[in-house]
Amino acid sequence: MNISQTSLALQNLARRTFRTYALLLAIAIVSGAIFSTSTLMWGVNNSLSKGLSKFGADLLVVPKGSMISMKSALLTGEPSLFYMEGGIMEKIASIKGVKSVSPQLFLTSVDGDCCVMGNAFIIGFNPKTDFTVLPWLEDKKERAFQMDDVIVGASNSYNVGDTVFFYGQNLTVYGKLGRTGVGLYDNAIFMNIEKAYSMAEESHRLPKVAKLKLVRGQVSAVLVQTEVGSKIPFISFTISKDPDVKVITAGNIITSVRQNLVTLFGSTLVLSFVLILANALMIGAIFSTIVNERKRELGILRAIGASKISIFKLIVYEAAMLTSMGGALGVFLGIVIMRVYQRTIIFNLKALNMPYLWPPASSIIILASIAIAAAVVVGVAGAFYPALQGSKLQPYDAIRAGE
Amino acid sequence: MIDIHDIWKIYDVGGQKIEALKSVNLTIEKGSFISIVGHSGSGKTTLLSVLGGLTKPSKGSVRINGTDIWTLNDRQLSAMRNEKIGFIFQFSSLIPTLRAIDNVALPVIYANGGKKANRSAVYEYAEELLSTLGLSHKLQSFPSELSGGQQRRVSIARAFINRPAIILADEPTGDLDTQSEEEVMEFFSRINEQDHTTFLLVTHNLGLARMTDKVHTMKDGMLNSNNGGNPA
Repeated sequence: MNISQTSLALQNLARRTFRTYALLLAIAIVSGAIFSTSTLMWGVNNSLSKGLSKFGADLLVVPKGSMISMKSALLTGEPSLFYMEGGIMEKIASIKGVKSVSPQLFLTSVDGDCCVMGNAFIIGFNPKTDFTVLPWLEDKKERAFQMDDVIVGASNSYNVGDTVFFYGQNLTVYGKLGRTGVGLYDNAIFMNIEKAYSMAEESHRLPKVAKLKLVRGQVSAVLVQTEVGSKIPFISFTISKDPDVKVITAGNIITSVRQNLVTLFGSTLVLSFVLILANALMIGAIFSTIVNERKRELGILRAIGASKISIFKLIVYEAAMLTSMGGALGVFLGIVIMRVYQRTIIFNLKALNMPYLWPPASSIIILASIAIAAAVVVGVAGAFYPALQGSKLQPYDAIRAGE
Repeated sequence: MIDIHDIWKIYDVGGQKIEALKSVNLTIEKGSFISIVGHSGSGKTTLLSVLGGLTKPSKGSVRINGTDIWTLNDRQLSAMRNEKIGFIFQFSSLIPTLRAIDNVALPVIYANGGKKANRSAVYEYAEELLSTLGLSHKLQSFPSELSGGQQRRVSIARAFINRPAIILADEPTGDLDTQSEEEVMEFFSRINEQDHTTFLLVTHNLGLARMTDKVHTMKDGMLNSNNGGNPA
């Protein structure tokens, strides 16, 4: 390989292997932490905004006692089995600014010998008034939704055309939803609310079937869509006058999740930025030593034709190469660790009511590029002053200083 | 032609002024082969570095082909050092991480303002120079694998890589045995004759100085008028 400014910088890095590896690792740790944290935050945020926008409802009205668990249900898909009378829908629909209302009924299946296939969260919905389920079908049969059909969320293992068995009923998977990031939707199985009522009634008649404690007409939640330009706080306030219900807005959920996000990742980010600063100072100190060690060489390079800017670039190249390699290593390690501990991470995020969607490859590439670029900036910023000092050396003085 | 006019170099050491060069005047014609002799500390090396654009004089001018080099900006002065001057230092001046051949070719990365030069031609010439200096078997050796004399010969080869018009050599044969010294001086003479390269050697070795066309003497920062040497 012919000599070049780049190869010269690389060979300089190879000169002190321990120092180079130690610096590389320090940079990798910081960029890995920044990359992982930002990927997780991005995933939660994206999942939240994407999911809630897909959700389609401006307000969610739930029985009072289920307020907290309802948020949890929305975000993580954990069941909440509180019910209220369906008559509330008429009252809500009559409020000025309300465009449409649609009920949802939450049931949980239980593992049983005869009657269910695994444990699943079932949501009954009304196909006639629905505006949050059917629009998001990604895959479906080429016919209309029927009484014995179910729709499965994206995280579900069932496929279109499969048969599922709940509470003594054989049901056909009519369609599958796209991934929303809203746990409630991604994990659930949707069926016609009328079918859910009749299934509950049948459960009391069929032998060896777990009994569903549910009365026809009860609902778990009412989804409210408002007119464009209507005052959502006013509608929310009006509905909240009913002492038996609570209103959840998308804002409630986002605020709650973001608070959790800040709690969980805020300190990590602050620590990362402190580490960035420490890394920049460390690089500054180390490159200052490097410049001192190589004074004679820098003087010789000047003697054979290197300009001040060439010397400056040589030192900055070294720092940029080192930190870009460190940044890339950090990103690689971050990806490996996140993949290895993927289940644990998602489990822990769910425990904090944080839904999570892995960012798409394009976003991961962007976040990785930002983490590597940040590492390079740290390297260049740290080496800037030593490089400037090195470039300012008078050639003869530099050569003599090394004698 | 090199014209050194009223050069002073004064160092401030702990508040004390040290006059390393005192009103030095010297004219060197193109193709000259001259030497400067003097005791250690007489100012020979300082004069060489002022002349080569490595240290700025406190006063005076150095003109190479009519251009006062100390009025050039850094980029121009660096280009001049790269293209027109070849330095041979009195100590090992090789980059320890580079092989002998790369050390010789090193100036090429700064040629044409850092723009790509014909590197294969440069490497061919580097190999030729090292072979001429008896190092054809050491092309791929690192400095640490070379003896002091071999390192010196690599440094000498590097000084010639850009076919400079001027060679400034500070004790160029310091680490060499007598036979190698004669071979190197013969090489210098051949280049001087073939390419009309100007040589200025600084040495305290009078035997070496006598091999040059003209010998100047330095003492206490002052250059004495010609006092002998060997006419060509």
